[in-house]
Amino acid sequence: MRLTRRSTFAVALTAGLPGFASAQQSGQVVVGTWGGDYGDLLASNIDKPILAPKGVEVVQDVGPQDPRKTKLIAERASRRGSMDVCCLSDVDMFTLAQQGVFEPIEEGRIPNLARAIPSLKRPYSAPHIYSAKVILYNPAKVTAAPQSYADLWDPKYRGRVGLVDILHLQNMEAASLAAGGTEHDYEPGKRKLMELRSLDAKVYPSNEALAAALKSEEVWLTIMWLARGFMWKKSGIPVEHAVPSEGATSICFEMSVPKNARNRTGAMAYLDAALDARAQTAFADRMGYAPTVTDAQLPPELARQISLTQEQQAKLRTPDYEYIAKNQVALIDFWNKEFKR
Amino acid sequence: MAALLLPATLLVLGLLVAPMAMLFRISLNRYDAAQMMQEALTAENYLRALADPYYREVMATTLGVALSSTLLALLIGFPAAYWLARMESRWKSLATILTLFPLLVGNVVRAAGWMALLGRDGAINAALIGTGLIAEPLPMLYTTGAVIAGILAVVAPYMILTLAAVIEAIPRSVEEAAANLGAGPLTSFRRVVLPLALPGVAAGCVLVFILCMNAYATPVLLGGPQFKMMAPAVYDQFVRGTNWPFGAALAFLLLIVTLVLTILGSTILAGRSRSR
Repeated sequence: MRLTRRSTFAVALTAGLPGFASAQQSGQVVVGTWGGDYGDLLASNIDKPILAPKGVEVVQDVGPQDPRKTKLIAERASRRGSMDVCCLSDVDMFTLAQQGVFEPIEEGRIPNLARAIPSLKRPYSAPHIYSAKVILYNPAKVTAAPQSYADLWDPKYRGRVGLVDILHLQNMEAASLAAGGTEHDYEPGKRKLMELRSLDAKVYPSNEALAAALKSEEVWLTIMWLARGFMWKKSGIPVEHAVPSEGATSICFEMSVPKNARNRTGAMAYLDAALDARAQTAFADRMGYAPTVTDAQLPPELARQISLTQEQQAKLRTPDYEYIAKNQVALIDFWNKEFKR
Repeated sequence: MAALLLPATLLVLGLLVAPMAMLFRISLNRYDAAQMMQEALTAENYLRALADPYYREVMATTLGVALSSTLLALLIGFPAAYWLARMESRWKSLATILTLFPLLVGNVVRAAGWMALLGRDGAINAALIGTGLIAEPLPMLYTTGAVIAGILAVVAPYMILTLAAVIEAIPRSVEEAAANLGAGPLTSFRRVVLPLALPGVAAGCVLVFILCMNAYATPVLLGGPQFKMMAPAVYDQFVRGTNWPFGAALAFLLLIVTLVLTILGSTILAGRSRSR
């Protein structure tokens, strides 16, 4: 956590004077976020150019998503939380929102939200960046581009399909769609995944390990976010993407304000700044995530690489958050105990 | 004099006993998908973990890895510790520091090094393919062997230093007396050095066994997604499944098994050293 002695003092001071702090937009905002490119882009496109001039000092609490989620749960009974803004992916955001840890989002306090893509809006969060789940394949080995998720079950790709462990829910959803099912029930996907298992599909512990396996051509096909595929391709990993005919599923990275945030006004200003068109374009350019606001204009070449066509967009699926939240424990049990065994 | 214990006692009570008590309380709650957990006083999490063949297998893997790593650490560590203890040159302190050297690198960094060595495109496979010994890379990473090798590198210094301290306290004259009475080096080791070093063996094994039972980073990074030990399974329940009650129950089962085996092991070894 990047907290200096001075900033800690400032937090303590503003926390001690809630009336003073909430009366204005300024002060300090602690943002629980990923590090790496994401954190850097937040700092250089949101914190410094947009919020610093308004007197808002942003402190990033950098870490992986899972500990951040756990922290929110652990702090939910506290009067004062450690984060003002919390960044999470859509599925986790929904699960936590169900437990009532977030402030409701009021469009009046976040003017840029008026320009956000309607299907990405949630009552508890602001959509920051989004992408779609696609098939990535090695064009030298897989000569005919895959058309659907079901193509991954072709016996000629035995042992050449790699899945990443952390996307267990997403892999199960893709398997359900491949089996002719829907995003509302993963049961057909379970059987389908067991078939993939008997075709020697490999499971990698992290995106980095999967990237290394794709690079060394140990595996040729995977299910991944289009944005990550774009970044991998830029870094020289031999992959192309194919949008599955079953319909791609969206992934949205969202920002919320915990109910026990110390600076809720500053946090709402932060969410508004994150939806600023310039900041959105920067994320698209470097990380391949599509803007969530309609006024962000991308160069045509970049748009072609990271966006879906109108026809693909029309078939875009949203994960069934409620189904996932309800069945999370059973789904992870299946993945660990049966598929990975 | 008892007042001297006060700061340490307060620290242990506040930072260890209190969180453990909270965790134990959580382990008796009931999981609920919408609310995360419901207040309850039930043993069902424990019963479920004990009844589920999957967690029994995870526990068996954990025990297998911990016991074999401890045994290997003892086998590798004893000769090194003996050499270090009996060393008289001015390089002795340097040798001790070198033994500690692996501990200066964090577990994750060390595991990353093993990954670079053992991976499909790693140094070992590259060398073997380069010399024409094999045509296809050998699967070494994401195996039980990789996990044991990785853990061994972490725990070996603990074993060596614990043993060396005890061996150093065994007077050399005892070994000389054994030799004088006609004992060869092996007999002298078996009948004199080893029995006298048993308290050190017990301490070293207990220390190493506990570290192995709780290993997290090494099994995750070197064992791969299919390999499961208890600590990563506990993490999975807390963080990925948000099932805190069940995760807490698994954590306590791990604690109980480790504690019972540790007490059992050290009692047996202590009994042996007394009976001699």
